[in-house]
Amino acid sequence: MKEKSILRVTQLVKQYKAVTALNNVSLHIDKGECVGIVGESGSGKSTLVKSVLRLTEIQQGEVWFEEKPLHRLKGKKLQQARLGMQVVFQNPAASFNPKVKIIDSLLEPLRQQRTVPSFLSHVSRNEKEIAFYLLEKVGISAEYALNYPHELSGGQLQRVAIARAISVGPSLVLLDEPTASLDVTVQAKILNLLKDLQETFQLSYLFISHDLAAVKFMSSRMMVIQQGEVIDQFDRAQLFDKNRHPYTKKLVRLFE
Amino acid sequence: MVVIVLEVKHLAIHNKTKQIVKDVSLTIEQGQWMALVGESGSGKSITAASIGGLLPSGVTLKGGSITFKQKGEAPILGKDISYIFQDYRSAFTPFLTIGKQFDETIRTHTKLSKKDRKAAIFQALKAVNLPDERVYKSYAAQLSGGQLQRAAIALALVMKPALIIADEPTTALDSVAAAEVLQLLYKLKEEAGCAILFITHDLRHVRKYADRAAIMLAGEIVEENSIESLLRAPHHFYTKKLFNAIPSLQKTPDRLLDTQKKVLI
Amino acid sequence: MKKPQLPFVVISVCGIALILFCLFGSQLTPMDPTQVNMQDRLQKATSDHWLGTDHLGRDLFSRIVAGAQTTIGTSFLVLALSLLIGVPVGLISGYIGGKIDRFLMRIVDAFLAFPDYIAAIVLSGLLGPGLFNLIAAMVIVKWVSYARVVRSIVLQEKSKEYVLVAKLNGVGTVSLILRHFLPHVGGHILVLATLDIGKIILMMASLSYIGLGTQPPTPEWGTMLNEGRAYFYNAPQLMFIPGAAIILFVLTFTALGEYIRGKYQVNQ
Repeated sequence: MKEKSILRVTQLVKQYKAVTALNNVSLHIDKGECVGIVGESGSGKSTLVKSVLRLTEIQQGEVWFEEKPLHRLKGKKLQQARLGMQVVFQNPAASFNPKVKIIDSLLEPLRQQRTVPSFLSHVSRNEKEIAFYLLEKVGISAEYALNYPHELSGGQLQRVAIARAISVGPSLVLLDEPTASLDVTVQAKILNLLKDLQETFQLSYLFISHDLAAVKFMSSRMMVIQQGEVIDQFDRAQLFDKNRHPYTKKLVRLFE
Repeated sequence: MVVIVLEVKHLAIHNKTKQIVKDVSLTIEQGQWMALVGESGSGKSITAASIGGLLPSGVTLKGGSITFKQKGEAPILGKDISYIFQDYRSAFTPFLTIGKQFDETIRTHTKLSKKDRKAAIFQALKAVNLPDERVYKSYAAQLSGGQLQRAAIALALVMKPALIIADEPTTALDSVAAAEVLQLLYKLKEEAGCAILFITHDLRHVRKYADRAAIMLAGEIVEENSIESLLRAPHHFYTKKLFNAIPSLQKTPDRLLDTQKKVLI
Repeated sequence: MKKPQLPFVVISVCGIALILFCLFGSQLTPMDPTQVNMQDRLQKATSDHWLGTDHLGRDLFSRIVAGAQTTIGTSFLVLALSLLIGVPVGLISGYIGGKIDRFLMRIVDAFLAFPDYIAAIVLSGLLGPGLFNLIAAMVIVKWVSYARVVRSIVLQEKSKEYVLVAKLNGVGTVSLILRHFLPHVGGHILVLATLDIGKIILMMASLSYIGLGTQPPTPEWGTMLNEGRAYFYNAPQLMFIPGAAIILFVLTFTALGEYIRGKYQVNQ
């Protein structure tokens, strides 16, 4: 499946001083699929996100994104190679600078890149109109563009975060507990939105959560991480199989 | 004979600009686990706060009644009613040992001797599976998150209150930790015979352990019933919406909430 | 927001009027503040000399007005220079961290270990008298607290997710600092600076009073206060008038600072 893999992580090791946060983690994501990772707090899932994004140093292992070796690149070359990867974090309030207007936060990645992906250039050449289009795509009415983050709810902010992530036309979006701090109906709408966008824009996702049911809903393949190690991986249909890891089975029982 | 611990009738609460809670009524029996389910802005936390006597400034009770144990007297916070908060760290001050803080609570409400107090504290800590001697002498900073949480639950139970108000204690926790807290609460409730008013936005947190649930929307209770009845045959559209919003392991729908339309917010 | 108290309002209004008057005051000094005229010395207020004359026959009013320029103007200059050094140091130290941060913070800690007046006196003594050296001494003492505050704000913000997203999208260090951290710093610094001005004025007058800093015949309130000491018994107005000017201005700026702080906290 080498040609199809958008992301290939092999034997990733991440250490913080004496603690090994990630121990030999390997995974791959093919084009258009969503791979889910289930883990408790402290299992290493957020560290995994930062390591794949190369926002932190890794001690061993390889991260291949679109066949480019992110683990070996630095500076501008890393920046260029990483262009097709975006992220949505757990805390919507912290994902936006409170002193900056929504429209400016939304357009930051585009302004930084200076090239507009084709799906947007078809819409307009005007910054403001592009922003309105993006907001509309995630179900936020355009009038919020000139507000500040504190004037939007958590669910609304998370939608803007998603709009920001897709604005540069990425091929892979990392979703780090994107619905953890939201009400259930808001969670459901956001998950639906993510699926809609996946279909519309042929996105690949790495979906990380402690909520096994949400992960199952989103993903075609699932992995379970515990204390920095991947202890189980399987296709969605195999979730209830007898040969699942005891910890996986424990999680399944919790959700029944 | 059924003992009514709490009776809330036609509660109305206002803040400076609008009415947050409109005509809320509910009854909690002895030993019953009542879930108050609603999303942000539904008024569930304010309702709980008014029962516990912890309304913030600017928010006032404008109508209705809250009767505790069918007596005229107001319940004493800490003795008859105790609280468990979402941020369990806030239950303890960093400057005193855990033991001293428990002691403070017991001394406030009883006239027990120091020996008896210590025994009561040890018993409470053991009941939540904490090493009694060690935790008694520790400061909050020396305990892990999970331990502090259990200590906060133990503190809520040490005076054997008739009612525990738990305000979203599992919302910020991952599934495994949440399950542990719920299991622990249930076990303690059964042992102590106290009632629980459990505030949450996620029905999954109470599906297994709650006896009854009241669903709140925009300051009103739209449906209230036993858990089995609610799960089997929900009436109100909002209850159904809450059920449909939750992804389940059994079914794998294409979309949650059964909605096809995208709605502009 | 609390309504400002009446005394504050009165002082602020007077003070602001006085500030404006003094800023453009050099045009308005009716007489040359350094013009010695031994015949007219130690006069009380007359129609020529609105506040009288000092021990050398110089017009007191003109000296107060000219002194305002020196005292207030220099204080603002000290503030500006302190910010110009302190804010960037705080931003860089906070954001870059590591060895640079540790090195810079050791310097800051070293300075903060001394009470600011003692440090200012020692530095001033080492550098020698004169306005320029006084400014240098005060700036060296003052920049550290701004660096500290700015650094802690940066530390708070830099691990937040919006910074990670910006970094991921290639926003460079300079842009990050200017676009994302500086706005956070602005409000706090404004409050601190307006409250600090009063302190700087007081420090400047104090240092000049003990003979460091500006020297006679430069009109400066602290220096004037010092010069008036010898005549305290027969012409106390030589001390009272510059003293009153100092007090009035320090109170005005402090009141202004409190007002801004109240407004800023409401916005937050």
